[in-house]
Amino acid sequence: MRCLTTVLVVLSLTAWPQADAGRAVVPEAEELLGEQSATAEPLVIVVNRANPVDNLSFTELRTIFLGGRSHWANGRRITVVMRGPGDPERKAILRDVCGMNEDQLKTHFLRGLFTGEILLSPKILSTPAGVKKFVFNVPGAIGYLRVSDVDATVKTVRIDNHLPSDKGYRLHAQFQVANESE
Amino acid sequence: MRASRQIKPVGNRNSARFLPFLDRVLSIASRHNAGLLLFMICFGVAVVAVFVVRDLQIASTEAQKMYSGSVHGLQQIGELQYYAQETRRATLYALTTSDSNLQVEYADQSRNADQRVKDGIAEYDRQAKSPPEVTLAVRLSHDWTNYLNVRDEVLASILEGSTKEAVSLDLSGGVPAFELVRQDLNQVKRLYDEDASQRLTHLVASSRRSSWRLAEILGFTFLLSCGAVWIVQRAQMLSSIQLAKLQMEFVASVSHELRTPLAVISSAADNIADGVIKEKDALRSYGSILQKQSRSMGRLVDEILLFASTEDGKNRYVLQPLQVSSIIDSVVNSTEGLVQSGGFVIDRHIEPDLPLVLGEVAGISRCLENLIGNAVKYGGDHRRIVLRAFGSPLEHGFGKEVRISVADRGIGIEPSEIAQIFDPFFRSPRVTAAQIHGTGLGLSLAKRIAEAMGGRLTVVSELNAGSTFTLHLQIAKGEDTRSEYVPPRPSPSLRP
Repeated sequence: MRCLTTVLVVLSLTAWPQADAGRAVVPEAEELLGEQSATAEPLVIVVNRANPVDNLSFTELRTIFLGGRSHWANGRRITVVMRGPGDPERKAILRDVCGMNEDQLKTHFLRGLFTGEILLSPKILSTPAGVKKFVFNVPGAIGYLRVSDVDATVKTVRIDNHLPSDKGYRLHAQFQVANESE
Repeated sequence: MRASRQIKPVGNRNSARFLPFLDRVLSIASRHNAGLLLFMICFGVAVVAVFVVRDLQIASTEAQKMYSGSVHGLQQIGELQYYAQETRRATLYALTTSDSNLQVEYADQSRNADQRVKDGIAEYDRQAKSPPEVTLAVRLSHDWTNYLNVRDEVLASILEGSTKEAVSLDLSGGVPAFELVRQDLNQVKRLYDEDASQRLTHLVASSRRSSWRLAEILGFTFLLSCGAVWIVQRAQMLSSIQLAKLQMEFVASVSHELRTPLAVISSAADNIADGVIKEKDALRSYGSILQKQSRSMGRLVDEILLFASTEDGKNRYVLQPLQVSSIIDSVVNSTEGLVQSGGFVIDRHIEPDLPLVLGEVAGISRCLENLIGNAVKYGGDHRRIVLRAFGSPLEHGFGKEVRISVADRGIGIEPSEIAQIFDPFFRSPRVTAAQIHGTGLGLSLAKRIAEAMGGRLTVVSELNAGSTFTLHLQIAKGEDTRSEYVPPRPSPSLRP
């Protein structure tokens, strides 16, 4: 909805700057949106290459992303890396892993940090490249990336013994992809 | 003869006492003074040039080595120091912010810089040759790896948000590890400085050596030039002495040649004046003797005058197309008395249809008379002279020429004297010893006449087997094919 509003504002300011206020712009916006389609792409959970962990259960993943677990089995401190609010991957993680919305997550971490149940809040990085570099530099880091963003600098972790390419993999994000004009 | 004896010992005494071999060589070389001097100077210049170029190349190589080895090395170590500092500086910058995006950016900068340092250390390791350099390269690589391990931990702590832990790690491990790296880099720089200093010393020594060598070469060249000048002067002096000696021998020989008929004439005149000879037949015989001797004296004087007139080398002949066979007939007739008195026979082989030659009748006749006279004088016991006239291709270039050769089977010429027989006044010691009279002007004169007519005179001889003298005459081209030949005049036809 927020995206739709932004697109409408941009269109009204750039494409039709002299349009009357009462002109019907909604059909135009709907027409524009009609040129886009939602595509689902698997989200990959990545850790540092030195991390011995190869597989996590969905429950363990939820616990880690909600700050319920502070250290890995090798003693390294766990640092969760997330993208900024509004990002499709973040939305997918909040929905599928955390089972919360933004406000609920914010409240959860504020309460956890205040009570001392959570030691570190997630680190926020604005780009997939930043996430990769962070995970590469921090031995205890864990984050998520699109399949197309993953490279050899990070290590992919199975979820419930499923790789992103496997059938039954549960983490997917919806992305708006603009259709090619004919 | 007396004058000859005065001069002869001077040259011989020097030669015999000091440098007999050198003088002999110089007497041969005296004909080529300019060429010899040029050769010596060229040789000296070439030697100097070779040494100078070699020294310049050595100096250039030393300078290049110094630049590539030391200057480039110092530049390399400067970059290493900069990127090592950059690695640490970027890590510390990450401490100054809590923005994870910026921290990641600084971590990235630090890793880029440390990669440059690793490459630099690997390059230094590859170039290391001496044991201290190899040891230092290994130590530097080890210390840098240690520092990077600490740096990675510090970066991880910063990114995790544990600033306090990061500072503690850096102080306890990073600072000492980086200090070791810094000391290693200073050591590398010191080694480069020492190497540069050594190379500079070598360069200075090489430059000094080159200067000395250049001075030695210049001195050598100076001595060489002095030697060349001395040799040329000595060759000229020997040449002058030889010429003077030949001239004295000529004067003696001419005096002798003149005195003999003069003595006969004087005796005959005395006998007639004193009334010793009264009979008519005896008087006729005395008249014949006087006539013969006076003509002999006249011929000798003519020859000397002719030689003197050709001395300046100017061409005074008026060349015209001539028939060779008729000139040969005329010459054979005029020398018939001489040939018969010596008991010789002339075999004539004249190629038919010979083309007209360019020359003057008197000149060609004079040459042939001289050659036939020589064949009679030096013909030995085999009293046959072969006179041939034939057409032949030119030795150099295209076209043909006519050759008239006079061959005898006499005493021949020493190979060492072949080059000298056309010199004026030259007479072979062998001929002089054999009491064969002559002035030493005949062949020289014949050669000059041949050249004045655009031809040349050559000789092929073998000792005790005979000689063949050949007169080469150019063929008249585009001239009237009719010969303007008239019988030879009694006097030489040289025009003033």
